[in-house]
Amino acid sequence: MTRSVFAIALLVFAFAADAHHSSAMFDKEKVIEVTATVREFQWTNPHVWIEIIVESEDGVAEDWSIEGLGPNGLFRNGWRPNSFKAGDKITIRFNPMLDGSKAGGFIGAKFEDGHTLGNWK
Amino acid sequence: MRPSGRSWGIISAFDVVPVMHMQLMRIFLLLVWASSASAAELPDWSGVWQRVEGNGGMFDVSTTKPPNGFAGTPGVRQHPPLTEAWERKYAANLELVAAGRLPDPISRCGTPAGYPRLLALPDVYEFIVRPEQTWIITENGPNIMRIYTDGRQHPPAGERWPTFTGDSVGHWVDGALVFTTVSMVGEAQTVLDRSGMTLSDQASVATRMYLTDEGLLRAELEIEDSLALTEPWRVVRHFRRLPEGTKAYDYACAENNRNPITNSGQTLTLDTDGKVIDKVIEND
Repeated sequence: MTRSVFAIALLVFAFAADAHHSSAMFDKEKVIEVTATVREFQWTNPHVWIEIIVESEDGVAEDWSIEGLGPNGLFRNGWRPNSFKAGDKITIRFNPMLDGSKAGGFIGAKFEDGHTLGNWK
Repeated sequence: MRPSGRSWGIISAFDVVPVMHMQLMRIFLLLVWASSASAAELPDWSGVWQRVEGNGGMFDVSTTKPPNGFAGTPGVRQHPPLTEAWERKYAANLELVAAGRLPDPISRCGTPAGYPRLLALPDVYEFIVRPEQTWIITENGPNIMRIYTDGRQHPPAGERWPTFTGDSVGHWVDGALVFTTVSMVGEAQTVLDRSGMTLSDQASVATRMYLTDEGLLRAELEIEDSLALTEPWRVVRHFRRLPEGTKAYDYACAENNRNPITNSGQTLTLDTDGKVIDKVIEND
């Protein structure tokens, strides 16, 4: 497993502010990047959810829930209901929860074939 | 062939129908003619549109400080001509924003954004123009705003009550839809944006919408509110038409809302089994 945490210089990388709810629970000054396996992709309103399995530093598989924006706007930006599939190996970046719980606000993802979704610069 | 058996008088229904039919046809043709004539003068607002001013839904970007600040970000506010009492209310909500505890009503997936906030939503819009009525449909929410242009007036006070989109009547002037909106619920159940700006239920909005030479749909609002504002608050918003073929979709907010909000305003996060993920949950 690789996991890295880095501060961001520009808020443009942060979980978008147009969610249907407050983004106050996310640490928008911090980005976590992990390698993960997709367990489930929920293509639903008001938000899509990427359920991932992350191997912790001591080798334990952990379930994390990464929240994206709504499917309608994402579709118009190139996402599809099968953009993530169970079993996909990805590297994913997100704003973590401030309280350290296993969830976050989606920023971007890179797949094994090199294609990306979201903000990946 | 006419059936026999005249059972109800000297003139039967079959005698009356042709006369009525002709009269109805004349009326129908007159209505079609009048409607078509009006429709020909109406602007083309077809297609799917998106707001121009974003800023996380900040309602009045022209007075937002710091400039380009996003609604919901601590320290970001707009500067309408507020009464002292309303400035105190707004300041209290700004403190809730700073604490991450502003209760935005639409986050509960139960009520629409209401007017005039519905002009500042993410996702897309449709503007359905008919001579007798215009509908503003927002994908986000969704919201349906009905603006009557058939000559009617606002109902008398005893025949209307506060609603999310209020009561709107208006008319067309040189391609501009000009209408007034009254009877909105105000602060009781709506905010203007996630900075916590609200209006009272005494607010009224005069709106003028028209296509600009650049092809944008421009909405000019003049908001009056004897409780919240010391003078009319003028706000301008724009919409751009998205490429032909762009579709709007269902926005079923309650379909899979994994972010319930506690009574204290904390937004929680649920896992796929509906269990709370948050490690810290404040007491309500």
